[in-house]
Amino acid sequence: MNLQFVLMQLFNGLILGSLYVLLALGLSIIFGMLGIINFAHGAFFMLGAYAAYTITAYVIPDFWLALVCVPVLMAIFGAFCEMVLFRRLYELPSLYIMLLTFGLMLVLQDAVRLLFGSMGVPFSTPKSLTGMVNLGFMYYPSYRLFLIVVTSLTACAVWLFLSKTKLGCIIRAGTDNPKMLEALGIDISKTMTLVVGLGAGLAGLAGVLAAPIQNVRPLMGMDLLVDCFVVVVIGGMGSLGGSVVGGLIVGQIIAIGVMVWPPMANTLIYFFMAAFLLVRPRGLFGREAFHE
Amino acid sequence: MHRAQLAMLTSFFALALMFPLVAPYVALASEILIFALLAMSYDLVLGYGGMLSFGHAAFFGIGAYTTGILLIRVFPSVPVALLGAVCVSSLAAAFVGYASIRRHGIYFTMVTLAFAQMFYFIAFKWTGLTGGDDGLQGVPRPNIGPIDLHPEINLYYFILALVIVSMFVIVRVVHSPMGTALQALRENRNRAMSVGYNVDKFKLVAFVISGCFAGLAGGLYALLLNMVPLGSLHWTTSGEVVVMNITGGMATLFGPVIGAVSIILLRDTISNYTDAWSLFMGLIFMIAVFGFRDGIAGFFQKKIIPRASEILRRAFPRKR
Repeated sequence: MNLQFVLMQLFNGLILGSLYVLLALGLSIIFGMLGIINFAHGAFFMLGAYAAYTITAYVIPDFWLALVCVPVLMAIFGAFCEMVLFRRLYELPSLYIMLLTFGLMLVLQDAVRLLFGSMGVPFSTPKSLTGMVNLGFMYYPSYRLFLIVVTSLTACAVWLFLSKTKLGCIIRAGTDNPKMLEALGIDISKTMTLVVGLGAGLAGLAGVLAAPIQNVRPLMGMDLLVDCFVVVVIGGMGSLGGSVVGGLIVGQIIAIGVMVWPPMANTLIYFFMAAFLLVRPRGLFGREAFHE
Repeated sequence: MHRAQLAMLTSFFALALMFPLVAPYVALASEILIFALLAMSYDLVLGYGGMLSFGHAAFFGIGAYTTGILLIRVFPSVPVALLGAVCVSSLAAAFVGYASIRRHGIYFTMVTLAFAQMFYFIAFKWTGLTGGDDGLQGVPRPNIGPIDLHPEINLYYFILALVIVSMFVIVRVVHSPMGTALQALRENRNRAMSVGYNVDKFKLVAFVISGCFAGLAGGLYALLLNMVPLGSLHWTTSGEVVVMNITGGMATLFGPVIGAVSIILLRDTISNYTDAWSLFMGLIFMIAVFGFRDGIAGFFQKKIIPRASEILRRAFPRKR
């Protein structure tokens, strides 16, 4: 095992971590506002990848177009789901919305499987990003570097949006106390639509970005989603920093696991989570009594 | 016991005894029984404990794998294998429960699902022990003393006997002081705590009991199929158990049984026509959440039974 290989794996862990970050951010924002786990989040991610495939294969073969369109389309789809489905269940215990998203996930996954087949579809790296980049100490695929850059920019943008804009301020207030927000005369249902749309958009973006490097197949989202649960349990729900740090940690654990003992790479994060729960039940940045 | 309850129990036993004659094939009847037990064990966690666990398949699958491995490699005796399954599943439930009950609500759901995935990945990768993706093949059905389990009908009555005993135990647990305490803390955690109950301990005990019966169901499943499919550990199995509880009616004990019967029968029927079962299951999930939250049992209790008694009352007015 030489240094080159180790660095390569750590970078691959960073790639995986970036996808986790995008998904966990959306999961965490939706959780904060609605108080639910969105089981359909992995399905949104998968839909994003398939939407990118459909656009590049059947409409205009342009990756950049897909990169811009798909997150917007997924955000609209997420907002639509919120308005048509989730909204009817806010009065009930949050259990029911979670079960609804679980059903939605099954329906979306199986519908995609029936449409495109369970084997997955081919998706090639965009031409302008096919080469390798010399980082000085090693060569690394330029598409993967691009992915890291886009994810970091997106994470920064989400952070700026939530911490510096009025709308972001409303979302953060809604996360802390939705009832108080409503009492102050803010239409919370619009904020909820926006939040689910934002989360779905982020998942869609992750889907497009993942399409060239992962197999585009119906179950791609669910596998990643469960890993994201580990991410938010470690990072702490309702904290952007927690999602980012947790995502990067879990990505690195898997990368290191692949180097040390490949068959157990995916199992390692669950052991880590179990150990973590015993030491810090609330996660790294989890707040006390937050949706508990 | 009320006369109505007695009548219901008697008709249930009569139905269960005759079921293999009515069901499309005997193995389906056995499968329904097994899933009825699994769904009923889960009712302890979701319905009575108020904990939405998405990892119940873990204990079912662990029970199935333990039974299979014990029968193939260690000792060809059904009671020993089932006992082993119950013990190992209870241990696994104690481990998962201890780590996950520290988190409440939503976190609990995520942690249980993540642990279930951990067991799934272990079974998937440890091909030497579990057969990996192909499942554990060739689980034998050795005789128990003079009883030959090879005819499906014999196995059905063996499973029925165990399921009835388990259901009896589960009913006793629910109506025991522990069961009532469990319901109290589901309704109002803070009040139960201030009265002096150790909330987490009660939850953990319920979780372990539930895991123990899920393990028994898994062991019976391995006997029934003569193999252990990897899918028994998959989260879709957990999802099916949840949907059985919701469609049947939570916290009623007989609701999940009705749910299991309807879901397994529906799955068997639908898979004759199409392979899109999970599409249908997703739709059932959504319909159940929107329009059928009390489940079939609640529907009967709220709509059918009052209406029937109303009709009866009108038909046979009380003489003054």
